[in-house]
Amino acid sequence: MRPSSFRYHKAESVDHALELLARFGEDGRPLAGGQSLVPMMNLRLAAPEHLVDIGGLPLTDIAFTDTAMRVGALVRHRQYLAEPRVAHHFPALHEAVTWIGHPTIRENGTTGGSLSHADPTAELALAAMLYDAVMIVRNTAGERRIAAADFFEDAYVTALQPGEMLVAAEFPLPPVGAAGAFVEFAERRGDFAIAAIGVSITVADGRIATAAIACSGAEPRPIRAPEIEMMLSGRPLTDPQSRAAGRRLAAAIDPVGTFLTTADYRKALIGELTARAIDTACARAASR
Amino acid sequence: MTIDITLTVNGTARTVRVEPRRLLADVLRHDFALSGVHVGCAHGACGCCTVHVDGTPRLACLTFAVQCDGKAIHTVESLGGVDATHPLQQAFSIEHGLQCGYCTPGFLMTLAPFVDAMVAERRVPEDAEIREAMSGNICRCTGYHGIVAAVRRAVTEQIETGSAQP
Repeated sequence: MRPSSFRYHKAESVDHALELLARFGEDGRPLAGGQSLVPMMNLRLAAPEHLVDIGGLPLTDIAFTDTAMRVGALVRHRQYLAEPRVAHHFPALHEAVTWIGHPTIRENGTTGGSLSHADPTAELALAAMLYDAVMIVRNTAGERRIAAADFFEDAYVTALQPGEMLVAAEFPLPPVGAAGAFVEFAERRGDFAIAAIGVSITVADGRIATAAIACSGAEPRPIRAPEIEMMLSGRPLTDPQSRAAGRRLAAAIDPVGTFLTTADYRKALIGELTARAIDTACARAASR
Repeated sequence: MTIDITLTVNGTARTVRVEPRRLLADVLRHDFALSGVHVGCAHGACGCCTVHVDGTPRLACLTFAVQCDGKAIHTVESLGGVDATHPLQQAFSIEHGLQCGYCTPGFLMTLAPFVDAMVAERRVPEDAEIREAMSGNICRCTGYHGIVAAVRRAVTEQIETGSAQP
Protein backbone atom coordinates (compact mmCIF):
# COMPACT_ATOMS: atom_id res chain seq x y z
CA MET A 1 0.00 0.00 0.00
CA ARG A 2 2.88 2.35 -0.68
CA PRO A 3 4.00 3.60 -4.11
CA SER A 4 7.12 2.42 -5.88
CA SER A 5 10.01 4.83 -6.34
CA PHE A 6 9.84 7.66 -8.83
CA ARG A 7 11.74 10.81 -9.64
CA TYR A 8 10.06 14.07 -8.72
CA HIS A 9 10.21 17.25 -10.79
CA LYS A 10 8.57 20.51 -9.84
CA ALA A 11 7.40 22.43 -12.90
CA GLU A 12 8.14 26.16 -12.69
CA SER A 13 5.90 27.08 -15.65
CA VAL A 14 3.58 25.42 -18.16
CA ASP A 15 6.40 25.42 -20.74
CA HIS A 16 8.74 23.82 -18.21
CA ALA A 17 6.14 21.13 -17.49
CA LEU A 18 5.75 20.43 -21.21
CA GLU A 19 9.53 20.20 -21.66
CA LEU A 20 9.75 17.70 -18.83
CA LEU A 21 6.80 15.66 -20.14
CA ALA A 22 8.33 15.68 -23.65
CA ARG A 23 11.60 14.39 -22.23
CA PHE A 24 9.99 11.57 -20.21
CA GLY A 25 7.36 10.52 -22.77
CA GLU A 26 5.52 7.36 -21.69
CA ASP A 27 7.40 7.32 -18.37
CA GLY A 28 6.20 10.73 -17.16
CA ARG A 29 2.90 11.81 -15.65
CA PRO A 30 1.69 15.20 -14.44
CA LEU A 31 0.82 15.35 -10.74
CA ALA A 32 -1.73 17.89 -9.52
CA GLY A 33 -4.37 17.09 -6.89
CA GLY A 34 -3.36 13.43 -6.84
CA GLN A 35 -6.87 12.26 -5.98
CA SER A 36 -6.90 9.59 -8.72
CA LEU A 37 -3.23 9.04 -9.53
CA VAL A 38 -1.93 8.62 -5.99
CA PRO A 39 -4.44 5.92 -4.94
CA MET A 40 -3.49 4.01 -8.09
CA MET A 41 0.19 4.43 -7.21
CA ASN A 42 -0.40 3.34 -3.61
CA LEU A 43 -2.16 0.23 -4.90
CA ARG A 44 0.68 -0.24 -7.44
CA LEU A 45 -1.78 -0.08 -10.30
CA ALA A 46 0.34 2.79 -11.64
CA ALA A 47 4.09 3.21 -11.33
CA PRO A 48 5.29 6.21 -13.34
CA GLU A 49 9.06 6.71 -13.30
CA HIS A 50 8.77 10.49 -13.35
CA LEU A 51 6.16 12.75 -11.78
CA VAL A 52 5.97 16.34 -12.94
CA ASP A 53 4.35 18.40 -10.17
CA ILE A 54 2.17 21.01 -11.88
CA GLY A 55 0.42 21.97 -8.64
CA GLY A 56 1.91 25.47 -8.56
CA LEU A 57 1.07 26.48 -12.13
CA PRO A 58 -1.37 29.32 -12.91
CA LEU A 59 -4.09 27.18 -14.50
CA THR A 60 -6.49 27.77 -11.62
CA ASP A 61 -9.22 29.99 -13.07
CA ILE A 62 -12.74 29.59 -14.41
CA ALA A 63 -13.01 32.33 -17.04
CA PHE A 64 -15.99 33.42 -19.14
CA THR A 65 -16.09 34.95 -22.60
CA ASP A 66 -19.23 35.87 -24.58
CA THR A 67 -19.34 32.38 -26.03
CA ALA A 68 -17.66 29.96 -23.66
CA MET A 69 -16.49 29.06 -20.18
CA ARG A 70 -12.83 28.10 -19.99
CA VAL A 71 -11.84 25.96 -17.03
CA GLY A 72 -8.13 25.73 -16.23
CA ALA A 73 -6.65 22.28 -15.65
CA LEU A 74 -5.94 23.09 -11.99
CA VAL A 75 -9.45 24.29 -11.15
CA ARG A 76 -10.53 22.44 -8.03
CA HIS A 77 -13.97 20.79 -8.05
CA ARG A 78 -15.23 23.04 -5.26
CA GLN A 79 -14.58 26.11 -7.45
CA TYR A 80 -17.48 25.14 -9.71
CA LEU A 81 -19.77 25.30 -6.70
CA ALA A 82 -18.45 28.70 -5.59
CA GLU A 83 -18.88 30.33 -9.04
CA PRO A 84 -22.56 31.31 -9.55
CA ARG A 85 -22.19 31.55 -13.33
CA VAL A 86 -21.54 27.79 -13.49
CA ALA A 87 -24.96 26.99 -12.00
CA HIS A 88 -26.53 29.68 -14.17
CA HIS A 89 -25.19 28.52 -17.53
CA PHE A 90 -24.48 24.84 -16.84
CA PRO A 91 -26.96 23.59 -14.22
CA ALA A 92 -26.30 19.92 -14.97
CA LEU A 93 -22.53 20.46 -14.62
CA HIS A 94 -23.06 22.22 -11.30
CA GLU A 95 -25.24 19.37 -10.05
CA ALA A 96 -22.74 16.79 -11.33
CA VAL A 97 -19.91 18.36 -9.33
CA THR A 98 -21.87 17.92 -6.08
CA TRP A 99 -21.61 14.17 -6.72
CA ILE A 100 -17.80 14.11 -7.07
CA GLY A 101 -16.30 12.18 -4.18
CA HIS A 102 -16.51 13.90 -0.81
CA PRO A 103 -15.81 17.47 0.37
CA THR A 104 -12.09 16.85 0.99
CA ILE A 105 -11.71 15.31 -2.47
CA ARG A 106 -13.57 18.26 -4.02
CA GLU A 107 -11.16 20.62 -2.25
CA ASN A 108 -8.13 18.99 -3.83
CA GLY A 109 -9.13 17.14 -7.00
CA THR A 110 -8.64 19.01 -10.28
CA THR A 111 -10.48 19.30 -13.57
CA GLY A 112 -7.45 18.31 -15.63
CA GLY A 113 -6.80 15.33 -13.39
CA SER A 114 -10.34 13.99 -13.56
CA LEU A 115 -10.69 14.47 -17.32
CA SER A 116 -7.25 12.97 -18.07
CA HIS A 117 -7.82 10.04 -15.72
CA ALA A 118 -11.06 9.28 -17.62
CA ASP A 119 -12.77 7.06 -15.10
CA PRO A 120 -15.72 5.55 -17.01
CA THR A 121 -18.29 7.06 -14.64
CA ALA A 122 -16.52 10.33 -13.76
CA GLU A 123 -19.00 13.17 -13.37
CA LEU A 124 -16.85 15.79 -15.15
CA ALA A 125 -16.32 13.52 -18.16
CA LEU A 126 -20.07 13.05 -18.48
CA ALA A 127 -20.66 16.81 -18.16
CA ALA A 128 -17.99 17.46 -20.82
CA MET A 129 -19.86 15.12 -23.19
CA LEU A 130 -23.24 16.65 -22.32
CA TYR A 131 -22.15 20.23 -23.01
CA ASP A 132 -19.90 19.45 -26.02
CA ALA A 133 -16.80 20.66 -24.20
CA VAL A 134 -13.50 20.97 -26.02
CA MET A 135 -10.27 19.76 -24.44
CA ILE A 136 -7.34 22.17 -24.85
CA VAL A 137 -4.21 20.06 -25.04
CA ARG A 138 -0.62 21.26 -25.31
CA ASN A 139 2.83 19.87 -25.92
CA THR A 140 6.12 21.59 -26.72
CA ALA A 141 5.09 21.85 -30.41
CA GLY A 142 1.86 23.71 -29.75
CA GLU A 143 -1.81 23.33 -28.93
CA ARG A 144 -4.65 21.21 -30.24
CA ARG A 145 -8.34 21.19 -29.50
CA ILE A 146 -10.13 17.87 -29.08
CA ALA A 147 -13.90 17.49 -28.82
CA ALA A 148 -14.95 15.58 -25.71
CA ALA A 149 -16.55 12.94 -27.97
CA ASP A 150 -13.10 12.23 -29.46
CA PHE A 151 -11.15 12.70 -26.23
CA PHE A 152 -12.62 9.87 -24.15
CA GLU A 153 -11.63 6.69 -25.99
CA ASP A 154 -12.08 3.92 -23.43
CA ALA A 155 -11.94 3.29 -19.69
CA TYR A 156 -8.95 5.33 -18.43
CA VAL A 157 -7.86 5.94 -22.04
CA THR A 158 -7.93 9.35 -23.70
CA ALA A 159 -6.62 10.88 -26.91
CA LEU A 160 -3.71 12.41 -24.92
CA GLN A 161 -0.37 11.38 -26.38
CA PRO A 162 2.90 11.02 -24.46
CA GLY A 163 4.29 14.50 -23.85
CA GLU A 164 0.87 16.12 -24.00
CA MET A 165 -0.98 17.76 -21.13
CA LEU A 166 -4.54 18.98 -20.80
CA VAL A 167 -4.31 22.69 -19.93
CA ALA A 168 -8.01 23.63 -20.00
CA ALA A 169 -11.51 22.52 -20.93
CA GLU A 170 -13.73 24.90 -22.85
CA PHE A 171 -17.51 24.65 -22.44
CA PRO A 172 -19.51 26.57 -25.10
CA LEU A 173 -22.28 28.59 -23.44
CA PRO A 174 -25.72 27.06 -24.03
CA PRO A 175 -28.54 29.38 -25.16
CA VAL A 176 -29.89 31.59 -22.37
CA GLY A 177 -32.54 29.78 -20.36
CA ALA A 178 -31.23 26.27 -20.91
CA ALA A 179 -32.32 23.98 -18.07
CA GLY A 180 -30.63 20.82 -16.90
CA ALA A 181 -30.37 18.00 -14.41
CA PHE A 182 -27.86 15.38 -13.34
CA VAL A 183 -28.79 12.20 -11.50
CA GLU A 184 -26.48 9.45 -10.32
CA PHE A 185 -26.69 6.17 -8.51
CA ALA A 186 -23.89 4.69 -6.41
CA GLU A 187 -23.80 2.16 -3.59
CA ARG A 188 -23.13 4.97 -1.15
CA ARG A 189 -23.04 8.72 -1.74
CA GLY A 190 -19.56 9.66 -2.91
CA ASP A 191 -18.63 6.20 -4.15
CA PHE A 192 -17.84 5.57 -7.79
CA ALA A 193 -21.10 5.77 -9.74
CA ILE A 194 -22.79 2.69 -11.12
CA ALA A 195 -24.57 4.90 -13.65
CA ALA A 196 -25.40 8.57 -14.16
CA ILE A 197 -27.45 10.67 -16.57
CA GLY A 198 -27.09 14.33 -17.49
CA VAL A 199 -29.78 16.24 -19.37
CA SER A 200 -29.68 19.73 -20.87
CA ILE A 201 -32.69 21.22 -22.66
CA THR A 202 -33.60 24.44 -24.38
CA VAL A 203 -37.22 25.52 -24.32
CA ALA A 204 -39.62 27.31 -26.67
CA ASP A 205 -43.34 27.90 -26.04
CA GLY A 206 -43.56 25.43 -23.19
CA ARG A 207 -41.95 22.66 -25.20
CA ILE A 208 -38.49 21.12 -25.40
CA ALA A 209 -36.75 22.77 -28.36
CA THR A 210 -33.49 20.83 -28.21
CA ALA A 211 -32.26 18.20 -25.80
CA ALA A 212 -28.87 16.73 -24.96
CA ILE A 213 -28.54 13.52 -22.93
CA ALA A 214 -25.28 12.01 -21.70
CA CYS A 215 -24.98 8.67 -19.94
CA SER A 216 -22.27 6.91 -17.97
CA GLY A 217 -22.40 3.27 -16.94
CA ALA A 218 -23.52 1.98 -20.35
CA GLU A 219 -20.06 1.79 -21.93
CA PRO A 220 -16.47 2.16 -20.67
CA ARG A 221 -16.75 5.87 -21.46
CA PRO A 222 -19.57 8.41 -21.25
CA ILE A 223 -21.87 8.46 -24.29
CA ARG A 224 -24.50 10.72 -25.81
CA ALA A 225 -27.93 9.41 -26.77
CA PRO A 226 -28.79 11.18 -30.04
CA GLU A 227 -31.90 9.10 -30.76
CA ILE A 228 -33.41 10.00 -27.40
CA GLU A 229 -32.44 13.63 -27.88
CA MET A 230 -34.38 13.66 -31.20
CA MET A 231 -37.38 11.96 -29.57
CA LEU A 232 -37.64 14.63 -26.90
CA SER A 233 -37.50 17.58 -29.29
CA GLY A 234 -40.94 19.24 -29.51
CA ARG A 235 -42.45 17.48 -26.51
CA PRO A 236 -44.31 19.57 -23.92
CA LEU A 237 -42.47 20.23 -20.65
CA THR A 238 -45.55 18.98 -18.79
CA ASP A 239 -45.50 15.59 -20.56
CA PRO A 240 -42.06 14.79 -21.97
CA GLN A 241 -42.82 11.02 -21.98
CA SER A 242 -39.67 10.45 -20.03
CA ARG A 243 -40.48 6.79 -19.22
CA ALA A 244 -40.64 5.91 -22.90
CA ALA A 245 -37.34 7.74 -23.45
CA GLY A 246 -35.75 5.81 -20.58
CA ARG A 247 -37.01 2.47 -21.89
CA ARG A 248 -35.72 3.27 -25.35
CA LEU A 249 -32.25 4.17 -24.09
CA ALA A 250 -32.15 1.05 -21.90
CA ALA A 251 -33.03 -1.09 -24.92
CA ALA A 252 -30.33 0.53 -27.05
CA ILE A 253 -27.36 -0.03 -24.70
CA ASP A 254 -25.38 -3.15 -23.95
CA PRO A 255 -23.59 -2.66 -20.62
CA VAL A 256 -21.39 -5.32 -19.05
CA GLY A 257 -22.12 -6.86 -15.69
CA THR A 258 -19.67 -6.43 -12.83
CA PHE A 259 -19.25 -7.90 -9.38
CA LEU A 260 -21.66 -5.20 -8.18
CA THR A 261 -24.38 -5.30 -10.79
CA THR A 262 -25.67 -7.50 -13.59
CA ALA A 263 -25.99 -6.07 -17.09
CA ASP A 264 -29.80 -6.23 -16.84
CA TYR A 265 -29.78 -4.31 -13.57
CA ARG A 266 -27.61 -1.64 -15.11
CA LYS A 267 -29.93 -1.31 -18.12
CA ALA A 268 -32.97 -0.95 -15.87
CA LEU A 269 -31.14 1.56 -13.70
CA ILE A 270 -30.11 3.69 -16.68
CA GLY A 271 -33.68 3.68 -17.96
CA GLU A 272 -34.96 4.85 -14.60
CA LEU A 273 -32.27 7.52 -14.16
CA THR A 274 -32.97 8.80 -17.67
CA ALA A 275 -36.64 9.27 -16.86
CA ARG A 276 -35.86 11.01 -13.59
CA ALA A 277 -33.30 13.36 -15.17
CA ILE A 278 -35.68 14.34 -17.99
CA ASP A 279 -38.54 14.93 -15.56
CA THR A 280 -36.34 17.03 -13.27
CA ALA A 281 -34.97 19.17 -16.11
CA CYS A 282 -38.48 19.74 -17.50
CA ALA A 283 -39.91 20.60 -14.09
CA ARG A 284 -37.13 23.12 -13.52
CA ALA A 285 -37.68 24.69 -16.95
CA ALA A 286 -41.45 24.85 -16.39
CA SER A 287 -41.12 26.48 -12.96
CA ARG A 288 -39.30 29.51 -14.31
CA MET B 1 16.63 10.20 -5.07
CA THR B 2 16.05 12.25 -1.93
CA ILE B 3 14.94 15.86 -1.63
CA ASP B 4 15.24 18.37 1.20
CA ILE B 5 11.89 19.93 2.00
CA THR B 6 10.78 22.41 4.64
CA LEU B 7 7.44 21.86 6.30
CA THR B 8 5.92 24.14 8.89
CA VAL B 9 4.13 21.59 11.03
CA ASN B 10 1.81 22.84 13.76
CA GLY B 11 3.65 26.15 13.70
CA THR B 12 7.24 24.91 13.70
CA ALA B 13 9.33 24.89 10.52
CA ARG B 14 11.72 22.01 9.99
CA THR B 15 13.71 20.71 7.05
CA VAL B 16 13.67 16.99 6.40
CA ARG B 17 15.24 14.84 3.68
CA VAL B 18 12.71 12.54 2.03
CA GLU B 19 12.32 10.12 -0.84
CA PRO B 20 9.70 11.52 -3.27
CA ARG B 21 7.57 8.41 -2.88
CA ARG B 22 7.02 8.98 0.83
CA LEU B 23 3.48 9.96 1.74
CA LEU B 24 2.85 13.04 3.83
CA ALA B 25 1.05 10.80 6.34
CA ASP B 26 4.17 8.66 6.85
CA VAL B 27 6.52 11.64 7.08
CA LEU B 28 4.31 13.27 9.72
CA ARG B 29 4.14 10.03 11.71
CA HIS B 30 7.76 8.90 11.44
CA ASP B 31 9.82 12.08 10.95
CA PHE B 32 7.68 14.43 13.04
CA ALA B 33 6.47 11.83 15.58
CA LEU B 34 2.86 12.95 15.16
CA SER B 35 1.03 9.70 15.83
CA GLY B 36 -2.34 11.45 15.66
CA VAL B 37 -2.13 11.13 11.89
CA HIS B 38 -3.81 7.75 11.45
CA VAL B 39 -3.48 5.75 8.26
CA GLY B 40 -6.53 3.62 7.60
CA CYS B 41 -6.94 2.56 3.98
CA ALA B 42 -4.00 4.40 2.35
CA HIS B 43 -5.97 4.98 -0.84
CA GLY B 44 -8.30 7.86 -0.08
CA ALA B 45 -11.40 5.95 1.00
CA CYS B 46 -11.58 6.36 4.80
CA GLY B 47 -10.52 9.90 5.70
CA CYS B 48 -8.53 8.86 8.81
CA CYS B 49 -5.37 10.68 7.69
CA THR B 50 -7.00 14.08 7.05
CA VAL B 51 -4.71 17.01 7.90
CA HIS B 52 -4.76 20.67 6.88
CA VAL B 53 -2.36 21.86 4.18
CA ASP B 54 -2.28 25.66 4.10
CA GLY B 55 -5.58 25.59 5.96
CA THR B 56 -7.42 23.20 3.65
CA PRO B 57 -8.37 19.63 4.63
CA ARG B 58 -6.42 17.10 2.64
CA LEU B 59 -5.87 13.34 2.75
CA ALA B 60 -2.27 12.86 3.84
CA CYS B 61 -2.23 9.39 2.25
CA LEU B 62 -2.92 10.91 -1.19
CA THR B 63 -0.21 13.52 -0.81
CA PHE B 64 3.52 13.17 -1.33
CA ALA B 65 5.49 15.09 1.28
CA VAL B 66 7.58 16.68 -1.50
CA GLN B 67 4.41 18.38 -2.80
CA CYS B 68 4.17 20.25 0.50
CA ASP B 69 7.61 21.89 0.45
CA GLY B 70 7.17 25.38 1.95
CA LYS B 71 3.61 24.73 3.08
CA ALA B 72 1.98 24.89 6.51
CA ILE B 73 0.62 21.61 7.85
CA HIS B 74 -1.69 21.21 10.80
CA THR B 75 -2.46 17.85 12.40
CA VAL B 76 -4.96 16.89 15.09
CA GLU B 77 -2.25 17.60 17.69
CA SER B 78 -2.71 21.31 16.92
CA LEU B 79 -6.42 21.30 17.75
CA GLY B 80 -6.71 21.02 21.52
CA GLY B 81 -3.47 19.45 22.71
CA VAL B 82 -3.24 16.34 24.88
CA ASP B 83 -6.20 17.48 26.97
CA ALA B 84 -8.36 17.76 23.85
CA THR B 85 -9.71 21.16 24.83
CA HIS B 86 -11.08 22.15 21.43
CA PRO B 87 -14.88 22.61 21.54
CA LEU B 88 -15.38 19.95 18.88
CA GLN B 89 -13.21 17.47 20.80
CA GLN B 90 -15.18 18.20 23.98
CA ALA B 91 -18.44 17.70 22.08
CA PHE B 92 -17.19 14.36 20.69
CA SER B 93 -16.51 13.25 24.26
CA ILE B 94 -19.89 14.35 25.60
CA GLU B 95 -21.95 12.96 22.70
CA HIS B 96 -20.14 9.61 22.36
CA GLY B 97 -18.71 10.66 19.00
CA LEU B 98 -15.94 8.09 19.31
CA GLN B 99 -15.33 4.61 20.63
CA CYS B 100 -12.05 3.05 19.48
CA GLY B 101 -10.79 6.45 18.34
CA TYR B 102 -8.96 5.35 15.21
CA CYS B 103 -11.03 7.50 12.85
CA THR B 104 -11.40 10.41 15.26
CA PRO B 105 -8.42 12.58 14.20
CA GLY B 106 -9.66 12.46 10.61
CA PHE B 107 -13.20 13.37 11.59
CA LEU B 108 -11.96 16.25 13.73
CA MET B 109 -9.70 17.68 11.04
CA THR B 110 -12.43 17.33 8.40
CA LEU B 111 -15.14 18.84 10.58
CA ALA B 112 -13.29 21.59 12.48
CA PRO B 113 -13.34 24.01 9.49
CA PHE B 114 -17.00 23.12 8.86
CA VAL B 115 -17.86 23.92 12.49
CA ASP B 116 -15.92 27.20 12.28
CA ALA B 117 -17.76 28.18 9.09
CA MET B 118 -21.14 27.45 10.65
CA VAL B 119 -20.27 29.40 13.81
CA ALA B 120 -19.11 32.32 11.64
CA GLU B 121 -22.48 32.22 9.86
CA ARG B 122 -24.20 31.80 13.23
CA ARG B 123 -26.20 28.93 11.78
CA VAL B 124 -26.80 25.44 13.18
CA PRO B 125 -26.60 23.10 10.17
CA GLU B 126 -29.25 20.53 9.29
CA ASP B 127 -28.24 16.96 10.07
CA ALA B 128 -28.14 16.26 6.31
CA GLU B 129 -25.53 19.00 5.89
CA ILE B 130 -23.43 17.56 8.72
CA ARG B 131 -23.63 14.11 7.16
CA GLU B 132 -22.56 15.51 3.80
CA ALA B 133 -19.65 17.37 5.44
CA MET B 134 -18.37 14.13 7.04
CA SER B 135 -19.26 11.83 4.13
CA GLY B 136 -15.59 11.26 3.30
CA ASN B 137 -14.83 9.77 6.72
CA ILE B 138 -15.62 6.24 7.80
CA CYS B 139 -16.31 5.23 11.42
CA ARG B 140 -16.90 1.56 12.25
CA CYS B 141 -17.90 2.02 15.91
CA THR B 142 -20.36 4.82 16.51
CA GLY B 143 -22.91 4.50 13.74
CA TYR B 144 -22.33 8.23 13.17
CA HIS B 145 -25.28 9.52 15.25
CA GLY B 146 -22.98 10.59 18.08
CA ILE B 147 -20.71 12.42 15.65
CA VAL B 148 -23.63 14.31 14.11
CA ALA B 149 -24.79 15.25 17.60
CA ALA B 150 -21.27 16.38 18.52
CA VAL B 151 -21.05 18.69 15.53
CA ARG B 152 -24.47 20.11 16.34
CA ARG B 153 -23.42 20.66 19.95
CA ALA B 154 -20.08 22.27 19.05
CA VAL B 155 -21.78 24.73 16.70
CA THR B 156 -24.69 25.48 19.02
CA GLU B 157 -22.56 26.03 22.12
CA GLN B 158 -20.11 28.32 20.35
CA ILE B 159 -22.92 30.40 18.87
CA GLU B 160 -24.58 30.66 22.29
CA THR B 161 -21.38 31.68 24.07
CA GLY B 162 -20.29 33.85 21.15
CA SER B 163 -16.83 32.29 21.18
CA ALA B 164 -15.94 31.37 17.62
CA GLN B 165 -12.63 29.60 17.26
CA PRO B 166 -10.14 31.79 15.39
